[in-house]
Amino acid sequence: MSSARREAGLLPARPDPARARERVLVGLALPALLLLGVVFVWPLLRLLSMSVADGSLAQFEKATLDELYVAVLWDSMEIAALVTVICLALAYPVAAWLVQAGRIGFLLGMFFLLLPFWTSVLVRTYAWMVLLGRNGVVNRTLRDWGWIEFPLPLLHNLTGVLIGIVHVMLPYMVFPIYAALLRIDPDLQRAAEGLGAPAWRSFLRIILPLSLPGVFAGCALVFVITLGFFITPALLGGGHVMMIAMLIEQQVREFLDWPFAAALATVLLAATLVIYAALSRLTGGQGHAAR
Amino acid sequence: MTSIRMTRRAALAAGLGAAALPAPAFAQSAPAKPDRIVVNASGGAMANLFRRTYNAEFERRHGIRVVDTSPVDFGKLRAMVESGNVEWTVTELGGQDFVRAKQMNLLEPLDLSILDLSRYPEAVRDTHVFPSSVYSTVLAYRTDVFRDGNHPKGWAEFWDVRRFPGPRSLRNHPVDNLEFALLADGVPMDKLYPIDIDRALRKLTEIRPHVSVWWTTGQQPAQLLVDREVVLASGWNGRFYELAQRGAPVAVEWQGGSAKQNAFGIPRGTRHAHWANQFLQVMTEPRLQAVYATELAYPGLHPDTPNFVTDAVKPHLPTTPANLEKQFWLGVDWWTENGQRAQEAWNRWMLRR
Repeated sequence: MSSARREAGLLPARPDPARARERVLVGLALPALLLLGVVFVWPLLRLLSMSVADGSLAQFEKATLDELYVAVLWDSMEIAALVTVICLALAYPVAAWLVQAGRIGFLLGMFFLLLPFWTSVLVRTYAWMVLLGRNGVVNRTLRDWGWIEFPLPLLHNLTGVLIGIVHVMLPYMVFPIYAALLRIDPDLQRAAEGLGAPAWRSFLRIILPLSLPGVFAGCALVFVITLGFFITPALLGGGHVMMIAMLIEQQVREFLDWPFAAALATVLLAATLVIYAALSRLTGGQGHAAR
Repeated sequence: MTSIRMTRRAALAAGLGAAALPAPAFAQSAPAKPDRIVVNASGGAMANLFRRTYNAEFERRHGIRVVDTSPVDFGKLRAMVESGNVEWTVTELGGQDFVRAKQMNLLEPLDLSILDLSRYPEAVRDTHVFPSSVYSTVLAYRTDVFRDGNHPKGWAEFWDVRRFPGPRSLRNHPVDNLEFALLADGVPMDKLYPIDIDRALRKLTEIRPHVSVWWTTGQQPAQLLVDREVVLASGWNGRFYELAQRGAPVAVEWQGGSAKQNAFGIPRGTRHAHWANQFLQVMTEPRLQAVYATELAYPGLHPDTPNFVTDAVKPHLPTTPANLEKQFWLGVDWWTENGQRAQEAWNRWMLRR
């Protein structure tokens, strides 16, 4: 109320406490921003400049027009989108359950989420190879139970790659959604129930919209990080799945063609930013409402 | 064989160069000892063996601690040398990278007054690259599926899915595979280079539906055979040797194997070049090379090394004469020249559905 009156000129001008608080926050964030600038933005700019080091756009021409790289970039986007959708479907119920779980349930859930999170991606990938193979644990068990006659093709194809990446990415989706759900005032839902809304409606009209910022943050994280996977698709895809980061890695490590690698990375970064912007516009309105 | 010829030329040039210079009188006075040197190599089982053999011997001789790091990374080597912050004293050079490492001036010249290569085969002696051992990409099969010597003997038979049915695995990489395809297509071993990429890929298209896994890491083909995911695979001989030693029903056919040398070099600008040469000198020790060959089946190239290896191990080594004559030497020069083009053709071919 007082701020409205001040704006209307009814109160004498005083230092705005909100503005002051913002200034303190910016000050607190400054060291981190500086660090990011030095160890992230600066190397990134140098990488980008490498792609045009010879003064021509030839590297970009190849990266954006050559059907090989375009096709692989497109495939990578598709895989990242699939992973995002699957993660969302799996993570939302888990996050919702964690919010209302008791102490033991919460600790147990965190344990199962964080233990694999702290394990090397390579180790987890090999573990999936043992589980999903033609004669792996899953197929053998299903055969012993008589559910299947021939082994399911779970490994060395897109299925294997999706399973492997989703497993790695799941915590990145659960935590933002969990955080968003935790912030929702439980009174809102109680009020809706008191006014006679059935559970599904209070979920659709209250919980879901208010958790969208978390959903957006989770989707953005999962999508962007998935685009950078190269060892998991190489191992679990058995050569049948190619992602753009695998091609970038080839150029960096095997052929030392850093200008072309930089051009590929720049195209990937640009495509990612465009999708990120589109996503944030799509959910932007709700994002502000929740604050 | 082209690579061998090239290195011989290089070795000759180095020999002439050395002869033209006056012998350095100060060669014997070693520089101050650092408290440690850093040896970068592949890691894993190899790192353990290094610690027990070469590292231990170096520490015993010179009283300098050896720290081992991994993995082998050509990009990192280049970045280190170009930034002037060279962390490695000695590094392994993966695959065919040693030619390019030398071309790109990333290596210190070897000091042959410390590192004695006089008894090494002339063909592998080089001014900048130390030939540490020989390995080979070979055809491996399950002995319980293909019994009594009735297994594919060479790549033409690997391609013959009627006589030898079952899923196969090949490396997701053009190196070796293009050669194997040409051999399967009837090209003689001494006529492989220059490689006809299109012809090789056409031949690979025939086998493609039967290749269930295109492997990425060296451990994969061994694991795939053990798990019965595949019955035939290409792979590095040492990995299959290890399986056979542990009693797995896996054996190797040397016919058509792709032999090549493992290489070590000294990154340019390293702080302890003297001790790097001393370390490589320890690696020439035949007794230690024999231990290495016995455990990993990757024999060093000192001519005395076979004298310290038991007869039971010899049939498993790529350098044993009976095995060596069945294999070809990978054309390192061709790959250095055409590797990127071949890789792109390979990626395109892999993407075709």
